[in-house]
Amino acid sequence: MRKQFRETVSDLALRDDKIILLFGDVSVYLFNDFKLKYPDRFYNMGICESTIISAAAGLSSQGFHPFAHTITPFMTERSFEQIKLDMCYNQFGGNIVSCGASFDYAWDGATHYCFTDLAILRMLPDMEVIQPGSRKEVDILMRSQYNNGKATYFRLSDRPHDIDMPVEFGKGVVLKDTASRVTVMTAGPLLKEVHAACEGLDVNLVYFHTIKPIDKELILKFRDTEIIVIHDAFGLYEAICEVPNLPVSYRGIPDDFCSWYGTLDAIRRKLGIDAASIRNMLENRFANVL
Amino acid sequence: MNTDCLEIRKNILHISKASGHGHIPTCFSVVEIIYAVYDAMKHDPRNPLLEDRDVFILSKGHAALAHYCVLSRFGYFGIEGVYGFGAFMSQFGCHADRLKVPGIEASSGSLGHGIGIAAGMALAFKIQKNDRRVFVLVGDGESNEGSVWEAVMVAVNLKLNNLTVIYDNNMSHARGLQILDPAGHFRGFGCEVSEVDGHNLDELKRELNKPANAPKVIIANTKKGHGCGTLVESQYEWHRRSPNGEEFEKLMGELCEKTI
Repeated sequence: MRKQFRETVSDLALRDDKIILLFGDVSVYLFNDFKLKYPDRFYNMGICESTIISAAAGLSSQGFHPFAHTITPFMTERSFEQIKLDMCYNQFGGNIVSCGASFDYAWDGATHYCFTDLAILRMLPDMEVIQPGSRKEVDILMRSQYNNGKATYFRLSDRPHDIDMPVEFGKGVVLKDTASRVTVMTAGPLLKEVHAACEGLDVNLVYFHTIKPIDKELILKFRDTEIIVIHDAFGLYEAICEVPNLPVSYRGIPDDFCSWYGTLDAIRRKLGIDAASIRNMLENRFANVL
Repeated sequence: MNTDCLEIRKNILHISKASGHGHIPTCFSVVEIIYAVYDAMKHDPRNPLLEDRDVFILSKGHAALAHYCVLSRFGYFGIEGVYGFGAFMSQFGCHADRLKVPGIEASSGSLGHGIGIAAGMALAFKIQKNDRRVFVLVGDGESNEGSVWEAVMVAVNLKLNNLTVIYDNNMSHARGLQILDPAGHFRGFGCEVSEVDGHNLDELKRELNKPANAPKVIIANTKKGHGCGTLVESQYEWHRRSPNGEEFEKLMGELCEKTI
């Protein structure tokens, strides 16, 4: 997905000289060509995430479209107040692009895991929160949102799904509608697991790449079904719960630092959000209901 | 004391008394600084969004009342509205909102944000290859925040010699985490540093207008409550207070002695 970020931004930069990249000493090698081509539009600002956001806000105040980029927890949790005040309250919008979402750095442990980013950023007024699940989603959503003056968060992942679908900002996608009384909702790369788990089962499957604004209209269509949100982060469930009186439950992150090392797959298994565990859970649910 | 700066201090006292909101000592420490910056900057009170204007950011946002009174003195707006200081639905809050007040370039209040935003603006002007300048006023107490020093490092690395940081050295830091040699610290990071009497307009103007090869820092040595002996002596007690009728008369009396 980072490569897609590079390709999309490089293409946009051909026509838009207001694009400025501020990186936190991450992905710098990947953008070598960009840096050589546009030396005054690429800055490796070092390891100072809060100031990267403040400086992005300052650039935005003068009409530029900044892209601030580094690792998820440092970009969002550490810099939360700068995002809240310098970008959102001041209305100096810009793009925040993170990498290493959820457990992408599975071997690095709890300091590098981040599953609160979507949830905390969606609380900020007028902020756009996007979790692309595929390269196509990165490309389409970045092109459509990068220069609208708002603070927009793109959460990139190293493990995209490969499921093709129409992509439009703010719109959820019904991937499967079997008129079932159970609807699974998910977002981002985890779709790969969820999609495999639902294969052949009598469940509806709804997917989101835009966490804020959440597609309430689409959710309402499934209000008479039992909704199960399966997500490897906080934020989607809370967004769905804004639609009142839904019969909805959540499976994903526990109240824990999840301080295991290993691989993404191993951690998903531990949390019960790998394809097999999800399928097992769904089959049990059907068995119990019947 | 300069007549304008005296009138600005009188406005601050009047508005503090009327509104019940304070921060008078900190406001009194920065009056000359903010006044000198607006005197040195390219700006137009009749057109606050003048395209090639210089920019000032008050990073120590709790001195907003001083900023409003200086802006009013320069003609951005009448002083009457500022009497609503901190009131419900007032345009003029105890920390400024840039979307509400003409001339405010960035909303502030939480400390340690101003230099980072200012660095971004200064970088923007470098990329645009224009000669606009950015001035940012930070407090010495505020400079306990690590983000101040992050932003200084960034500004030095980006060679932002169009950025001037004015450091209000009013000894706020003394009651908490002390910064004993601010000039040495800024110099160590690579800034061009000078030190002035922060209540001396001539010294301030001289340094504000001096060209630099690196981000410039002016250590402005000031006194909290400058202009009123009572405030200087009891600055902690007065940090957030506003004066009652009797106190107001006393403070105003002390202030007016300065004109003699």
